[in-house]
Amino acid sequence: MIIRRADAETEAGVLPTEELFDAMAKYNEELVKAGVMLDGAGLQPSSKGMKVRFSGGRTSVVDGPFTEAKELIAGYTLIEAGSLAEVVELVKKWPAEDGHGNVTIEIRRVDEAEEFPTATPEVIEQERRMRAATRKA
Amino acid sequence: MRFMVLVKSNPESEAGAVPTTAQLEAMSRYNDELVNAGVLLDANGLASSADGALVQFADGVPTVLDGPFAEAKELVAGYWLIEVKSREEAVEWVKRVPFDADVDTEIEIRQVFEGEDFGAGFTEELRERHERMGAEIAERHG
Repeated sequence: MIIRRADAETEAGVLPTEELFDAMAKYNEELVKAGVMLDGAGLQPSSKGMKVRFSGGRTSVVDGPFTEAKELIAGYTLIEAGSLAEVVELVKKWPAEDGHGNVTIEIRRVDEAEEFPTATPEVIEQERRMRAATRKA
Repeated sequence: MRFMVLVKSNPESEAGAVPTTAQLEAMSRYNDELVNAGVLLDANGLASSADGALVQFADGVPTVLDGPFAEAKELVAGYWLIEVKSREEAVEWVKRVPFDADVDTEIEIRQVFEGEDFGAGFTEELRERHERMGAEIAERHG
């Protein structure tokens, strides 16, 4: 998972320009053509979001915005690649138009249920069913 | 409307702790409910940041930093992508996430941008390119 971290502009709800949309579309089209792209989306500022707090078995809801802008997420891209090094190379080509060339992109590996020694065959089967049901066809 | 529901990391998840069978089974049941209600689009857990990397661009120049990252409190440990009719419906689903009763945590809910939210910069031409990409991804991976 490639995470585009938020900044002051994304949190202020500044919409991308046509030039930035075009640069991101070109970048995404390359990922699609390379067969690595699975999904991607931008997230609205945290002012449109909320948090559900779990404490002592109870829940409470807090409306956004959340203050820690540089650790929030502004968007993500889900890709399938052979190695972390391959993903790093793809991310290095991130469009310079985004964030005026000043962005932080986080790369995180997705867990597979089979990796957990605690996953029973039923859990792995449920994950397989979930993947089949959620696949966007 | 689509929402991304983000579970934050904690020292255990960052240490690579594996969920117990009971925890995996509880999440499986919850995910089944989301699937059966027709709201689940995707869900994944993320490995600890030790398996990741950061690419920081300064004036267009990238610097790569290997994980783990220090600010573990605000990292993402996993997410659900759901499609529901209202913010309230999203909150109701999130309140039912089957955490253990002694867990002290926060789940962040963020609305996903749709084409109509984007204004004039998202032209008809860009909308068509976006749709073509979606169709090609579905063809390759669907």
